[in-house]
Amino acid sequence: MGKTYWETFKEAGISRREFLKFATYITGLMGLAPSMVPKVVHALETKERIPVIWLHGLECTGCTESFIRSNAPYASDLLLNLITLEYDETLTAASGILYEESGKMVRAGLVGHLDKVVEEYKDRYILIYEGGVPLGNDGKYCIVAGRSYKEDVIELAHHAMALIAMGTCSSWGGIQAAKPNPTESVDVTKLVKKPVIRVPGCPPIPEVITGTILHIALFGIPPVDDQGRPKQFFGNRIHDTCYRRPFFNAGQFVEKPDDEAAKKGWCLYKIGCRGPTTYASCGNLRWFGGISYPIQSGAPCIGCADKNFWDKDPFFERLKGVVTSKSWCGRRRNHRCPCRPRYCGRH
Amino acid sequence: MVANVVKKAFYRFYLFQPGLRIWHWIQFLAILVLFITGLYIGDPFFIGSIGWEANDAYAHVLSMDLIRLIHFAAGYILLFAFLYRIFLMFTKKSHFSLLIPKFWKPWFWKGIIEVLLFYAFIKKSHLPLIRNPLARIAYVFVLLLIFFEIWTGFAMYGLSDPSGFWAKFVSNWTLAFFGSEYELHFWHHVVAWVIAIFVIVHVYMVFFNDFIAKEGELSSMTAGVKYFPEGHLPEDCDDVASQKECKKLREQS
Repeated sequence: MGKTYWETFKEAGISRREFLKFATYITGLMGLAPSMVPKVVHALETKERIPVIWLHGLECTGCTESFIRSNAPYASDLLLNLITLEYDETLTAASGILYEESGKMVRAGLVGHLDKVVEEYKDRYILIYEGGVPLGNDGKYCIVAGRSYKEDVIELAHHAMALIAMGTCSSWGGIQAAKPNPTESVDVTKLVKKPVIRVPGCPPIPEVITGTILHIALFGIPPVDDQGRPKQFFGNRIHDTCYRRPFFNAGQFVEKPDDEAAKKGWCLYKIGCRGPTTYASCGNLRWFGGISYPIQSGAPCIGCADKNFWDKDPFFERLKGVVTSKSWCGRRRNHRCPCRPRYCGRH
Repeated sequence: MVANVVKKAFYRFYLFQPGLRIWHWIQFLAILVLFITGLYIGDPFFIGSIGWEANDAYAHVLSMDLIRLIHFAAGYILLFAFLYRIFLMFTKKSHFSLLIPKFWKPWFWKGIIEVLLFYAFIKKSHLPLIRNPLARIAYVFVLLLIFFEIWTGFAMYGLSDPSGFWAKFVSNWTLAFFGSEYELHFWHHVVAWVIAIFVIVHVYMVFFNDFIAKEGELSSMTAGVKYFPEGHLPEDCDDVASQKECKKLREQS
């Protein structure tokens, strides 16, 4: 039995008052009601810190970049106090064969760190996948320390307590799975038989990453929807939580990215905003401590948390290949278009 | 009580009770409203609220909010009309059996060829049928399309209230089935256009049959009856009348 959170906090010299404040803070972060605060405190006092193995596959490590910018709690808090991040290829200071290798070391009479962790925390660790899995050429397109990522994904899942697919790559396949998908990349759920919690986003919001890990650490698997996404973060459309929603309801739309309406901050629906079809917390939490999010910055959402978003181009049109009124009043005849006299000739 | 078949100089087939006829026209109006409002929601082609503050625009002009409200209201009407249509299947034999493409009957396959030749102005007439095989296929198909529109429509509608009835029972698995909501929007659009094309073909075919075949195709959805000249007893007579009745009529002719 490892140390509980409260014991760790005490050792670090954090007062009870600070501890309770922290508990209240993360209750809100996890999307729980204020009445849950005592339960969170209780969980923090009794649950041991949870070991985490974080694997990287075919990806850009953007999710890790996002994760370390988490504001509430700070990623450093989460890494050093709340979870025991035992294995992570990008965030650890240690490197080299003793850290990474497993099979070769066993043969040489030594045990690699990864094997040691798996042995020590059997059936207790959280396994986080970051990155798609290339199946083409027997998984040779993604090899970490001599092992193909494909093997790791399957082997390490056997003894994991919970599996998290972090980011769009491991959740849906990612950019590398875009047509024609030369590496035959797939999401991890294609390989793993166990239920996987999907935290899609390219990258996911830092607070969503930490919130999901925390929820598993304290209360186990969070409630998920039919696609395995935590309901508290992926239950709402961006559109329904968007601060530009009144402009949509009033029917006030941006016609092209730099027109008068865009300067007034009207709705980006007509220039292909994917807010109405994307489920994420961008509208609620926003990014990096609530500074902004794409729509607030004036760019239409591209739906990066959505399945196969990379193939749904053009990003700046609403629906690909669907006959709409735009097709009636084509660009060539736009100066005669009876529907939109104000905007004619501007395209 | 209106008799199923009246024999004068013609056979008079009573096909549809008033309930079904009212259903047809309510559905027509609902689809018309849904299609027009749906076009605006899919691509808002006019901006009616210029000069208004967004928050004031709702009450004063034809705004997206109002158009969506009309769309949803019409959607509910379509849903309950559809459920009512299912109920109607149990009220009269012809309400149900005229919908079935009876591909196990010889007249079905013969009818397809003859009706196609008739529609192409190659043949002057085709074997007498109350509802020809092409129409049977088309009507089942369009009812499935309407069901698809109701299903995808309410799946999208439900997700604005993630803990509500529609989200709980329809939206979640639908979303998992389609992959993402983008596909849902896409297919909702495509199928709406297929229904629009059906309406065009349907109206043309009804008037064609009414004027050329003179069997009262149009009157079947207004008065509920269809007429066939004596000696031209429809092959699918027993979809409307009882088999005994049809047999008797067939022996007489």
